[in-house]
Amino acid sequence: MRSGAHSLLLILCLAPAARAADQTPVAVQTTAAPTAAKMDEKHRAFFASYCTACHNEEKKKGQVRLDNLSFTLDSMQTAEAWQKVLNVINKGDMPPEGSKFPAEPEKAAFLEALSVELVKARKLLGDQHGKITMRRLNRREYANTLRELLGVEIDVRDLPSDSGAGAFDTFGASLFFSQDQFERYLELGRRALDEALVEGGQPERKKVRRETEIDANREVRHGLHQELLAPYRRAKAWKASNGKSAREFGFTDDADAKFKLGEYEAYGATYAQYLAMPYSDTGSFLCIYRPRPYESIEIPKDAPAGRYLLRIRTGKVDGAPEGRAFMELRLNNAINKRDSALIDTYQVSASVKQPQVIEIPVQITKSGCRSFLLREKRHAHESAESASFHEHKNRTGVAPDPALWIDWVEWEGPIFEQWPSAAQQRLFFKGEPPATNDESYAREVIIRFAERAFRGKAAQPQFIEKLVRLYRARRAAGENFMQALKEPLAVVLASPSFLYLAEPLGTQTRRELSDLELAVRLSYFLWSAPPDDELLTLAKDQRLKTPEMQRAQVDRMLNDKRARDLVRGFVHQWLDLERLNFFRFNFKRYPTFDEPTKIYSGEEVYETVQTLLQENLSLSHLLASDFVVINGLLANHYGIPGVKGDKFRKITLPPDSPRGGLLGMAAILAMGSNGEITSPVERGAFVLRKVLNDPPPPAPAGIPQLSRVPADLSPRERLVLHQEQAQCAHCHRKIDPLGFGLENFDAAGVWRNTERYKKGKELKDWEIDASGNVPDGVSFRDFFEYRALLKERKEKFARGFTEALIAYALGRPFGFSDDDLASEVMNKARADDFKIRSFIHAIVQSQAFSRK
Amino acid sequence: MGLIKKSRRAFLQTAGTVIALPILESLAFRGKAFAAEAPKPAKRMVFLTFGWGVTNETWFPRLDDTGRDYTVPPGLQPLLAHKKDFTIIQNLTNKYADDGHWGSTFYLTGANRYAQPGQTFHNTVSADQVAAEQFGKETRFASLQLGCENAIDSGHGIGLSLAWDRRGKPLPGLDNPILAYHRLFSDESTSIAERQQQLQQKRSVLDAVLEDARSLKNGLNRADTDKLDEYYQSIRDVETRIAKDEKWMSIPKAKPAEIMTEPDKSVAGYEEIKVMYDLMIAAFRTDATRVITYRQPVRSLLKSLGVRVSSHDMSHYAPGERMEASQIRDQKQSELLSYFIERLKNTREADGSTLFDNTVVTYGSNIRTVHSLDNCPTIVSGRAAGVQLGQHVVLPQKNTPLCNLWLTLLQGVGVNAKSHGDSTGTLAI
Repeated sequence: MRSGAHSLLLILCLAPAARAADQTPVAVQTTAAPTAAKMDEKHRAFFASYCTACHNEEKKKGQVRLDNLSFTLDSMQTAEAWQKVLNVINKGDMPPEGSKFPAEPEKAAFLEALSVELVKARKLLGDQHGKITMRRLNRREYANTLRELLGVEIDVRDLPSDSGAGAFDTFGASLFFSQDQFERYLELGRRALDEALVEGGQPERKKVRRETEIDANREVRHGLHQELLAPYRRAKAWKASNGKSAREFGFTDDADAKFKLGEYEAYGATYAQYLAMPYSDTGSFLCIYRPRPYESIEIPKDAPAGRYLLRIRTGKVDGAPEGRAFMELRLNNAINKRDSALIDTYQVSASVKQPQVIEIPVQITKSGCRSFLLREKRHAHESAESASFHEHKNRTGVAPDPALWIDWVEWEGPIFEQWPSAAQQRLFFKGEPPATNDESYAREVIIRFAERAFRGKAAQPQFIEKLVRLYRARRAAGENFMQALKEPLAVVLASPSFLYLAEPLGTQTRRELSDLELAVRLSYFLWSAPPDDELLTLAKDQRLKTPEMQRAQVDRMLNDKRARDLVRGFVHQWLDLERLNFFRFNFKRYPTFDEPTKIYSGEEVYETVQTLLQENLSLSHLLASDFVVINGLLANHYGIPGVKGDKFRKITLPPDSPRGGLLGMAAILAMGSNGEITSPVERGAFVLRKVLNDPPPPAPAGIPQLSRVPADLSPRERLVLHQEQAQCAHCHRKIDPLGFGLENFDAAGVWRNTERYKKGKELKDWEIDASGNVPDGVSFRDFFEYRALLKERKEKFARGFTEALIAYALGRPFGFSDDDLASEVMNKARADDFKIRSFIHAIVQSQAFSRK
Repeated sequence: MGLIKKSRRAFLQTAGTVIALPILESLAFRGKAFAAEAPKPAKRMVFLTFGWGVTNETWFPRLDDTGRDYTVPPGLQPLLAHKKDFTIIQNLTNKYADDGHWGSTFYLTGANRYAQPGQTFHNTVSADQVAAEQFGKETRFASLQLGCENAIDSGHGIGLSLAWDRRGKPLPGLDNPILAYHRLFSDESTSIAERQQQLQQKRSVLDAVLEDARSLKNGLNRADTDKLDEYYQSIRDVETRIAKDEKWMSIPKAKPAEIMTEPDKSVAGYEEIKVMYDLMIAAFRTDATRVITYRQPVRSLLKSLGVRVSSHDMSHYAPGERMEASQIRDQKQSELLSYFIERLKNTREADGSTLFDNTVVTYGSNIRTVHSLDNCPTIVSGRAAGVQLGQHVVLPQKNTPLCNLWLTLLQGVGVNAKSHGDSTGTLAI
């Protein structure tokens, strides 16, 4: 209670303005740190009548005894026992058929109290009381650290992703080391060194252009004549032969011949149409489905690794809709082209008469894929492709007109800024090794590399000795200086001092971090990467611990492009953006919400936070804002005119726009759906969790579906049924209205005024009713009022953000014992209009951040 | 008798008594005299699969004709002699399987291809590898993956064998009998000295990182030390494997009497499958491994039978030539399976039991027929897993997870598994 009272006082004193806007007493109570989760004694009667009457010492029905279950949930065992009680009542398994049943309101009150206490107990029992467990580099940090050390990007997907399950990937206690992980690190380290250390002279830079019409026309002509027409003619002859075996006509059997007959009839005209199109003689078209949906760019297998530029000269076909003027670049790395990995999407705004050149830098590794595909942006599903093709063909007899034309494609590279690379020059700091007796140089290289890999901490001499021995063995086996060094350097990259961020405590229970440790914490918080030379130098000079210096360094680091990793790493996990990947969107209902749109919708979230960070704007822009940060593709999705190009930028919105703020973003709205229809429950739960910082209890396990769903209810009326049954009502009456307020956005986040769905056997359009109320009782009539109400509650949003950022920065879950810290951060941020950097400065300057 | 004892003692003197011996059992095969002191035979698992499904109409017994007295359908007629010794199970499905051309990719894993957001392919550990983790500790090869050339044409789908490791990565297979023969019975081409040097190198790497771990450990508190222990565990895992490699390096591969020479290069299709079955028996006899998977050829089988229809076209059968091809294929495969069961029954173990008693064999495909992926054709034989043989079982629940069968068999042979893939429990069979 001590700390709780303290923080409450601070809020009352320092934030009269915020208090005025936020008049809910409940909200203030949540900041008080409870010492135990406890079921109120008033529930004793309910428990006695419906539970312990059978589950007592004497009867012990079903071998379950509950009469000795403590009402104070102060241990894991007690909490688990109560969780079971909650589950069986929720499921309707208890009380059993034929026994006494509680009235619905009575049951609802009991269930609500129990779920709230269980949430509290979980948080209390999981409280780490300020302790930070030593942690391993997570997968993102590992990849970034290799990049900073060796200047190469390595595919790290062989490692566990480390994210998910509600925890941040910076939580030391949850970052495990699996049995085969050591060998994976060793292997990845070797691969990174192979990529980074190159021998010989600088490879020649080449430029190869291909006029695409040559292959395109040959392929389509061959397809038409050899693959379609010739077998068709043979099949016709077979038909006319009256009963001869199809084999005599060169088919494997009758079925084969019949197939060929149909195939020409289905596609012949489409092939002919392609060859007759204007500009097919000077370039190629990207078709839908057939004859030629892909164009390719191939960098030859023997071309050296390095950075390359791909160029595509392209234009949009006259009359093609704007929505189709997007080109995907994919990595041709799958058995089936449809499964190839999307790299990026580009808007084509030029015409065929005056084409534009799109230039794309790509990194080619020694063993990685170097074949690229281009195609028109669309759903990657085969049936989606053939459906739109056949729909058009059935209407018009031929395929839909292509929208994109390509004049030529080109690759150029490899392009090196320096040769050898900066990383290699830094590693071999004395240049070429001496002709004889190079071991002392090798030793120096190893010592310096280990110190950098260990983030400024020198490695122990015994360790270095063993590494030199490895070098010696390799050298003796005939490898040259550079080759022989790779193994010991790879071992450094798999050793614990590299993989773990250790802050040894010795015999102390708490202590101040050293300057060097602070530098490491700072750089992994703000960059998810190791400290750079400037930070290390400051740490070595012991100049990092003053508030002014920390402030200056934080600003410098946030201006660096490495801070994008903070935005991505943190925002992805804070807002559970993983969920965006959970569903494939129904291509019939949402033809434009394809993979590129989905990816860019996620980018909008990152780019918006990135803009807030760069311009140091208030966090409240995430609740409502007069601007969005989008590119041409998203502007097309939102119907915002005048935005062209692939670069994300700030676009000012008209005052009546529903966009601006998280709840107008396609990604957030799409996550509140299942790819088919919207889910007001998911959306409401999101608002409770992330906006109002009032997370609902976890969805109970094994709840039966709503049993009575009459066919003639609107989606909204169906959900109201949730609120009829006690076990549902106690959470859903809070959750659902928060989702109803967003019903004007369909599953893909597009604005709608009506929703079409089946009533009985007919389709019916329902007017959307987006009215509802926030949990403190204030009601809203539509989305705009709803958004305004939420913006008034920015205090709660800021608190949720603060708790998440503290957890991410310190690498442990936020506990009740962190309440003072959160209040301190909130006070500083509030005094600065909740500007986003003020939260970060406050956390970095807090005592918790500089202590182990 | 005296001779056998002498060579056994000589062996123990050279190799030390730590090693549970492959030779021991192969010696024991020679006569019952050894039975008294022979150890209990090991349990083994064999998973056989083929692509492109079966002929629906003639392979499955009728759904209402269950139990022991069911009528063996035409596609299984060649197995009639063993009717008491195999069980057919219906209604098993891999619910995530979504591609009719991928008959083996998820067969033993039950994985959801799209389980990893943003990626178009994902797989998980296969049942055989779960068994290999436990059974593979004492044998030279933890598991053996047999396969065929052009696996895609034979309807197996992507993957290198039926086996997928803990990370969901494909394990390589031996795609013809010659490769399998040499892996099992020929000595390595690199010298022992070279291999010893490689192992030494690996040890030096471990030695170096342990040095760093020791210096890091100083000053860590309890929770941090626990974290570092996970790292140590990972190192110990590598050490264990190095030790195993080293142990087997100096022991020459045991060669069973009846397989003395390399298989004929020309064997393909029908004969190829038969030779692979022989090699499996030999691998068990020498205790080279206890877990075997086999992706059988379909394309070359058809070719060897003189069937001119291609394997994929055959699977899209309709009455006529294609259906006949499909039926011939079913029968010939049954004939081969019958041969394998026969050989298992006729091969004696050290304690007088037979390989059949100590092995569980499954035979089937992820594809039922054409492109239908439900009710995977499934036959179980061998007594090792305690399955009641001689029955036609139609599971009460349609689309019971195929992984429930794998879990049942794993537990049946004593593998410590609580779930597998998308399993929801075990089968009462």
